[in-house]
Formats: sequence, C-alpha cells, structure tokens
Amino acid sequence: MSDHAVTINVNGVERSNLVPARLTLADFLRERLDLTATHLACEHGVCGACTVLIDGETARACLLLTVQADGREVTTLEGLTEGDELGPIEQAFWAKHGMQCGFCTPGFVLTIAELLDDNPNPSREEIIEGLGGNLCRCTGYVKIVEAVEEAVTLRGGGA
Amino acid sequence: MSLFGASIRRKEDPRLLRGDGRYLSDIKLHGMVHAVFVRSPHAHAHVRGIDSSAAVADPRVVCVLTADDFPPGLPPLPCIDAEETTKPFNQPILASDKVRFVGEPVALVIVEGDRYIAEDIAGLVDVDYEPLPAVSTAEAALAPDAPLVHFESNVVDVLEYSVGDASSALAAAPHTLSERFITQRYAGTPLETRGVIVEWDEARHGITMWSSTQVPHSLKATLVGYLGLPENAVRVIAPDVGGAFGVKLQPYPEEVILGLAAERVGRPIKWVEDRYEHFLASTHGREQYHDVEVGYDDDGRILAIHDHAVTNTGAYLQRLTLVEPFIGVSMLSGPYVIEHQQLVSTVVMTNTTPLNPFRGVGHVQAAFTMERIIDLIAAAVGIDPGEVRKRNMFSADVFPLHRGIGNVLAGEIIYDSGDYQECLSRALATAEWDEFRREQESARADGRYLGIGIGFFVEETGLGPYESGRVRVEPSGQVIVFTGACSSGQGHDTVLAQITADELGVGFDDVVVVHGDTDLVASGVGTYASRSAPIGGTAVRNAAGSIKEQAIQIAAEMLEASPQDLELADGEVRVKGSPASSVSLAQVAGRVAPGQPLPLGVDSYTLDATDIYHPPTNTFSYGCHVATVEVDIDTGVVTLLRHVVVNDSGTLINPLLVDGQVQGGVALGIGGALLEEIAYGDDGQPLNANFMDYLVPAIGNMPEMVVEHMTVPTPLNADGMKGAGEGGAVGAPAAIANAVADAILPLGAKITETPLGPETVYRALQDAS
Amino acid sequence: MKPPDFDYVAPTSVDGAIKALGSDSEAKVLAGGQSLIPLLAFRLAGPSLLVDLARVDGLDHITDQGDRLVIGAMTRQRRVERDPLVANRCPLLAESLRHVGHPQIRSQGTIGGSVAHADPAAELPGVVLALGGRVHVTGPAGDRTIESEELFQGFLSTSIADGEILTAVEVPASGPRTGWSVVEVARRPGDYALCGALCQLQLDDAGAVMGVHLGLIGVGDRPMRAHAVEAAVLAGANPADAAELAPDGLSPSSDVHASSDYRLHLATVTSRRALTQALERAA
Repeated sequence: MSDHAVTINVNGVERSNLVPARLTLADFLRERLDLTATHLACEHGVCGACTVLIDGETARACLLLTVQADGREVTTLEGLTEGDELGPIEQAFWAKHGMQCGFCTPGFVLTIAELLDDNPNPSREEIIEGLGGNLCRCTGYVKIVEAVEEAVTLRGGGA
Repeated sequence: MSLFGASIRRKEDPRLLRGDGRYLSDIKLHGMVHAVFVRSPHAHAHVRGIDSSAAVADPRVVCVLTADDFPPGLPPLPCIDAEETTKPFNQPILASDKVRFVGEPVALVIVEGDRYIAEDIAGLVDVDYEPLPAVSTAEAALAPDAPLVHFESNVVDVLEYSVGDASSALAAAPHTLSERFITQRYAGTPLETRGVIVEWDEARHGITMWSSTQVPHSLKATLVGYLGLPENAVRVIAPDVGGAFGVKLQPYPEEVILGLAAERVGRPIKWVEDRYEHFLASTHGREQYHDVEVGYDDDGRILAIHDHAVTNTGAYLQRLTLVEPFIGVSMLSGPYVIEHQQLVSTVVMTNTTPLNPFRGVGHVQAAFTMERIIDLIAAAVGIDPGEVRKRNMFSADVFPLHRGIGNVLAGEIIYDSGDYQECLSRALATAEWDEFRREQESARADGRYLGIGIGFFVEETGLGPYESGRVRVEPSGQVIVFTGACSSGQGHDTVLAQITADELGVGFDDVVVVHGDTDLVASGVGTYASRSAPIGGTAVRNAAGSIKEQAIQIAAEMLEASPQDLELADGEVRVKGSPASSVSLAQVAGRVAPGQPLPLGVDSYTLDATDIYHPPTNTFSYGCHVATVEVDIDTGVVTLLRHVVVNDSGTLINPLLVDGQVQGGVALGIGGALLEEIAYGDDGQPLNANFMDYLVPAIGNMPEMVVEHMTVPTPLNADGMKGAGEGGAVGAPAAIANAVADAILPLGAKITETPLGPETVYRALQDAS
Repeated sequence: MKPPDFDYVAPTSVDGAIKALGSDSEAKVLAGGQSLIPLLAFRLAGPSLLVDLARVDGLDHITDQGDRLVIGAMTRQRRVERDPLVANRCPLLAESLRHVGHPQIRSQGTIGGSVAHADPAAELPGVVLALGGRVHVTGPAGDRTIESEELFQGFLSTSIADGEILTAVEVPASGPRTGWSVVEVARRPGDYALCGALCQLQLDDAGAVMGVHLGLIGVGDRPMRAHAVEAAVLAGANPADAAELAPDGLSPSSDVHASSDYRLHLATVTSRRALTQALERAA
C-alpha cells in the first residue's frame, strides 16, 4: 500500500511525514518522532497509557491512525514540560507519590491536564469520574487522587 | 531529621515525569530487526510439521527459527524449587513435537522493518497441528480418564506437612465444619508487558540483553547456561521496568530463544510482548481450592484442621511453581494457634498457561480460606468475629516461633516478631467496628445490606538466599550505590539512597543508585518476595558501614588521631568530643585517590565496599484489613465503602512509599476479590485475554482507604525491616469476602469463592432462598 | 497487536465517500474508529480500504427540527454529550453518552459510528431504538431513511447496505413532563453493561403516563425494545409489575461476564429501576 503524507502539529512543531495508513498515532509518535512518553500497554483502547491531547481534548493514541490526525494538533507529555521545569500536575505527582513504575503516569497527567482545564476545582467524585479511563496497576489510585487535589492547589484553582 | 524513616519525594520521579523514562520498548539500536513469536492456537496438539517457506520467501524476512534450528538436547526451563518427588514436567524452550497450552511458542520470526511487518509474516508460517483432547481445570485433570498433559499422571507433585495429630483431634472435637474455598486464577498484569532486546557483541564474543525483568542476574545465569558462553560474555540490563508483580521474576523461553538467535542474526533483535500475548505467555497465579475440615469448641477455639489444597498450575513447571501450593497450605494457620494440622497440597497440570508466584503468592489463598473459616465458626458459636480471632491468636511473647513446617526454597517457617492482637485491636478501632454494627442494623431496617469483614494475614517476606550491596565514594565525595535488587517501580533509588545517606551522613542528593545491569553489579538476586528493603537494604547498610570504617582508618592519619577516637557523622569524620577537628568525606575520599602515596595502614586506592547479605531466616510481616461493603441484593453488585489496613512491615525507611505499596496491594486484592479472573473454556481456549474482558480495577472501583503502620522491628536485620510489597494484596480478598458474607448473613447466603462478581453473589443469594 | 495493511482515503463529500466505498468490495467506513481500530489491532477485521468520513462536509451538526433532533453522523459523542440543546430536548441521549466508554473515547467516537457498529451492549444504538428514532443513509441509489426497528439486524449487523453511508441520526425531541433514566449493571464504570435499561417517558396533564420508551442493552444480539413492559406501563401497571415482563422475547447468550439467566434477571431489575427513576423525574 502506498504511504500517505501527513502534517501534524506535535507539541507546537509542524511534523511532516510519509506514513502507511495502518500506522497508529501512538507508533508514529514513538517510532517516527521518538516521543516515547506515550506508552503502549494494551493497544486496544482500554488502559489509557497512550492518552494524548488532540486539538486540546484527550484521546487514545492507540485508537487513532496517524492519517486521521493529519492537520491536527497533538500534545504529548513531552509537550507539557518546558526545559527541566515540571508543570504543576507533574510536581503534584512527585510531591504526593502519585506514581510507582511510571508507565501509566503520562496518560494520567494528560487526562488530568484536560480535566483541570475544563474544571479547575473538581470534587473528588468529579476526579474519579474524570480518571475512569486510565488504569494504574501500582498505586491503587489513592495518591493519584491526592496528586490531583495538590495540582488544583498548585495551579491556584483551590477554593 | 534523619533521612531514614522520612517520607521524602522519590529520586526517580522527575525524570519519569518529563517523559525521560527508558522502558524496554523505548530503546532503539542501530540496525535493529523485529521479532514475533508464532504461538500455538491449540491448548493441546501434536505438531506434525512447520512450513515456513511462504514466510521465508518474503524479502523482508531475516529468518524463521523453529526448534529444529537450535542444537538438539537443549534442556527445558528449570524449576528451582522442585522437590525430589516432583515429576519433570518442564517447559521446552520452543515446542517441537507437542504444544500444551494456547500461546506456547513454536517459532520465531525475525524481519526488517517493524512489528507490523513481523505480524504480517508470522501469519504466513503454516504449522500443521493435530489437536488433542485438553483439560483446563484441576478437577477435570484429576478425573480417572482425563487426557494426560504430559505422561503417567496429571499430578506433578503432592506436598504433605503435618503438625500434631489432626485426625484424632478432629474426631474428638465438639464441632466440625467442612467446606471448599476457591480462589480463582488471576495475574499480575503489569501495565508494561515483557520485552527483550538482544545484541550480539563481537568484542566480547557474547551478548547484551535488555529485558523487562525483575531478575537480571538470574537471567544472565540462565543465558550463560543455554548459550554455553563464559560468564563474562553475557550482560543483562533491566531498563526502567513498568511494573512486574512477580510476572517478570523468572527467565522465560522468549529470552532464551532470542539469546540463542543473537549470534546467528548478528544484528540487534527487538521483541515486545503485546497484551494478548501477555495473557497467554506470561505466568498466571493463584488458582487453588482448599477442601478443609476444621474442629472447634463452643468458645470458638480451633482445635485441629485438615486441609487438602489443589492447585491448577498450568501446562509446565516454572521456576518457582511449587511456592503457590506450598505457601497455600503452610501459611494457612497464619496468626492462629492450631495445634493439630494435616496439610496436603496436590499440584495438578492442565492445558493452561503456567503458574508462577505473583504478589502475595499462596498467602492470598491461605488467608482467604482461614479468615472465612473463622467467620463461619464465629457465626456458628454466636461470638463476635473479632473476639474469635483474639481467642485463637498467638500472643506477643511467643517469638521466635517455630511452626514445624518448611520446604526446599523457603526454609523452615519461623515467625520472628510481631503483636497480632494489638494489630487486630487497632484495625477494629480504626474501622469503628461497633459504630458500623449500629449503622448496619439501621440500614437493614431500610432494606440495605451493609457488611464488615476482617482479613488478617501473616506473610513470609525477605527471602534469601542473599542480596548484594556495594557503596563507593568518589574522590569528590559523591556516593554511588550498586544493588543486586532491581526496581520495577518500588522506589529502590530513593530508599537505598536514604539508607546510605543515613549511614554516611551525606546528602540524599549526593547518592546515586545503580541497579539492573550485570556488568555494573557483580552479583544479585533481584526483586520479589518483598525482599529488597530487608535484604537489599541491609546489604547496602552493611556496605556503607564498611565505608565508615575505611573512612575512619584513612582519616586517622589526616587528623593525627587513633581510629577508635573518630566517628563519622554529618558527612565528615571527626574526633569524638571535639567536632572542630574533622575532615569531610570528600577529603577522605580524595586522600585515597590514585597518584599519591596511601596513608599508613591503608592498602587500597578506593573508598569502596561490598556486602553480600545472607539473611539467617525469612521475616514475617503481618497485617489486619477491615473492609466495609454494601451489597445490592437485587443484582448481587458489591460496592466497597471503606478499607482499613493496619500493617506491620517493621521499621519503615520511607512511610510514604510503604503507604503506596500497601494501597497498590489492596487495589490488586480488590481485583482478586471482585473483578479479576483469567477464564478458560473446557477446551483450554482463553476466554478473556484482553483488557476489555479481563477486569483490572479502575479508580471507580476503589473504596476510601486508610493505612496505618505498626512497627515491631524484626531482630533478623540491624534496621528491623520486614517486607512491605505484598501484604496489601494478601489481606484484601479475605476482608472483602468476609464483609460480603457478613452483609448477606441474615439471608442465609454463603460465600466460599472469589471473585465476588455480581452474578456469583446473586447466585449465593438465590441458593439461600 | 498491530493492524493489518490497508489503504486509506479521506473524501470531502458524501458523493466522494460513496464512490470510494463502491470502488472496493472490501472497503470499510471509518467513523471515529473507536470500535473499529481495536478489531484491526486484534486482526479480527481485514479491510483493504478505509474510507474516513471525518473530512466529509455536512456530517457534523446538531439540528433542531422542532419535534425531532437530527444529529450528523460524524458529530463527536463528546460534543453531543455537552450540547445544551441535546440536554434539553433529548435528555436520555445526553445521559446515555456519559456511560459510553470514557472521555478519551467520546472525544473521537461519533454518533453515527457507534449506531452503525450496532454493538448490542452499546448505549447509542439502544437509545435510537428505544426512542423510535431513525437513521438517514445515502448510497449509490440515493437517500433513504431506516426506522430503528428495521435497523438492527443482529450482532454488529444493520440493514445499512454495502456501499451505503449513514449520514445522520434522528431522534424525537422530548415534550414537557418528560422523565428519563439510564440504569446499568457494569463491572467497572465505563465498561459495556451486563445489562442496561434506557427509559424515557412522558406524563399527561393528569400525571398519567402517555408515552413510554424502554430499551434494553446487553441482553441479545442487538439492542432490544421492551414492548411488553411499555404496554403494561401504558395500561397503568406500576414499575415493579411492568418490569416483570422485561425478559419477554429476550434470549441473551451466556459469556464470560454473565449467564443468560442472570442477564434476564437484570433486565427486570434495571427496567424496574429505570421506570421508577424516569417517573420520579417526570413528576
């Protein structure tokens, strides 16, 4: 099959590439652009480890073909960090021990980024509903919820 | 404040949070080719032939390898805890004449390009199978006319242990109860699957293998054996590991096959297991039922127990296959005084994925069985379940306590320390047991069914045989720690730096921890069995202690003092009682940098010490979980309300991280209690080998969680540390099952198995009515 | 778990899409892909061409037609979920969407994609069926509408013909004194339900039920409408009595998550609860 030309804005940079139709966005980011923070843990859209932002909304990068993202804006975990400075959500994960093996963490951070953009001061129930699509096998989620609450404070959104 | 015992942020995190983690699948090497395995779609079949001609014809194929391409006579994978009686049902590294479970590897396909192409081409390999009758449950495998997975019998071993005279005591007991308790098959399912990269290294005429493993040194030893290479020709590196939970604690066939292929291919080969493969080809755990007969008196005291456990261990022995059946019976009595025990553990082979230990191995089934027994007795004699536990528990003055049971690998079971009664009391108080009882009563009046349940466990942790720790002080005073333990997310870098900084009085940020590389770390065992803190941590503590002695020896000349008058504190060596007279650790290290004469009495140009710590015996953690639930009796749906844990893992290095271990363990236990089950059809076909149908707990399944710590130090290591990684997973299923049973007790329903999915609970209610 | 090889085209008009679809007998429509791509990853589907409707003009809209709401097939589920018009005029649809997967799925998944996929446990086909909606399709022979009762033909199967494209989903808009409810029994929030009841009903001025719609998901090879229950409610039965009729005509299969019998039992329980809640909301 012939390759398809795509131009995708990834973390603020226009990236043009020729890709086969079947190449998932997750593999495009990981294999073509070396953006390896987008992790693959199930490749069938359940675990959320590959969550990225597409035009500002979370999506599973394993459930999108690269060609579908042509002309769109994609943000990965790498795009949230400027230099060595951690953003408030990442700082909150560090402070509250919101991560152990770290494999699910990028997906959580991006999901939380969108959650807090939509709702800067979510209730605990809203946090739990918002994170329902991300699986973590290490933490039992307790400290992830605490990290979200900490991030609310760090972002100045706390009441 | 001392760094030891402080809840400080992890060293590991900033890097991972920036996306700079380096997990196996993130690694790319120049000229890398891609591998996939052709796996059996049959649970049981003869392999009549493999035709790879269509695959090989594709120009992108590097090679297709089958058993015939490897030297004949390669031994099967070892089972290192095999007893003399264990039949040799070990796994060949690549199936040749027969396959015995769905997912067993039969060929290796290596291609140029990527995994997409590799999967395309694997589909072209034509394997001619002659399907055979299969068995998937232990009961089916034990039937007289069952198909044989191997030969002679499907029973690979029967383990028997006995204390006292259970038969006579049972016969004399005022009351007995008989029941079967069933724990299902489930698995660790780390978010990161397994994966391997191997590169032939012509310079050393050997290989470098990166593998997502908990045991790089064991893997190296295995590869040395299979490849016939000298020890210095094999290097194994475990990069960042995205969770393991026991699933990555043994060398696997894929690692051996790829190691064997490396020289032939001559280019780096990458294989990353996908989630479907993971369900088929990575080890499972638990599946075990217990047929028990228990004798007790009117006061609820247990007089004797006879337990016959049966474990469905899958198609092949794995490295530590017998741990599940051994622990399942040997730890049955947990914290309770049971004078007479007869324990039989039958290990059965079936046409399913093999079992190997994962988080909580054997203890989960033991605690579920015992804790359910206690509640059944409590109900029968009409005494509060907490009180029945107290009456049967060991007191705090019995340690060390020899339980009269042991096995090849785990050694004799000797409880080392604890206060079980105090732990129970604290857990009941924190859970507000009496208040909940009142709430429960008023809820019942409204037709709502609340329940509360206890899950007490004792857990064997800190297994030997040894672990290595090496501490080196650079001439600039910074410290590097090398450990044979290997992180899969626990936070080794952080806690071992805390120990080192505490011992040497240096800053936390001045310590770097290295693990997971067999070239850099001379010897090691790895991370499993809740051993890294008590064993690995003690080795590092001891090595740092040796550094202290060396530093004092070196500083003696610098300070013109006698070594016995010196102490190391706050990162400097100083004269006791006159702290102004001191040299920094950096100055001390600089004094033995090469290029100058050594101080008198010092014979090495390094400040470097290694300790290999062999624990005398294992240390036993324990804890008490109290769960509260609500059961929807119309649907059987269980909603978790609150989960209290009081845990004793001895002295804590970093309470924040231990909280995380316990909470994560509880979540895994919740999975086992309510959600997770690896299901097979009677024909051995897997029914839910994906994350859609295999139900890892999500955030919405979690209750409010409260974790408290007791710290009764173990006398077995200087810091008093016991294992902390698994207990959460052990106590939770027992507590939750008891809470569910308690909720529906007024309706006469009986709970004897996990997972307690809604239909299971609904059926129990139907059977009662 | 990588998709097999296929080609891809992203036409910008319905005509272009129909032509592309007609050009290849193994072509499949890509309408968000949140159900299709997992099938590709497991290699359970092997199309030679994917025709992506994402760039087709005119398929992304929510249109108020008075007594009907018409939603373009490629309108993303997230947009519909958050749309005030939908919340107002079709509250059952709005609430159902909160049960569809997770936010990350709904941001890419489309209304038309889910309806055309026709998963028997999915909420959107159930809502369209329950409400007596219809779909608009366009094919080489022109436009036609398919009533929901005719749409769902079996497991992942609809009466949309090969070469046709679903362009819009139409549901009746609710009137005053409408109550609704979505009751599901699922193992984890966001999972496909073991059984779900989707109910919308309307009361007359006297407070009697003048119209009731009850759809059941997860209890057959397609979404089911509980006609017997609806008739009983209209005849004045209370929710508990009416819900006893929910299993009528159902023959769910057993699978790894639930047995047939248990699903039938859940049909009664979820129907009862959904009717009860919908009545409360209407009152």
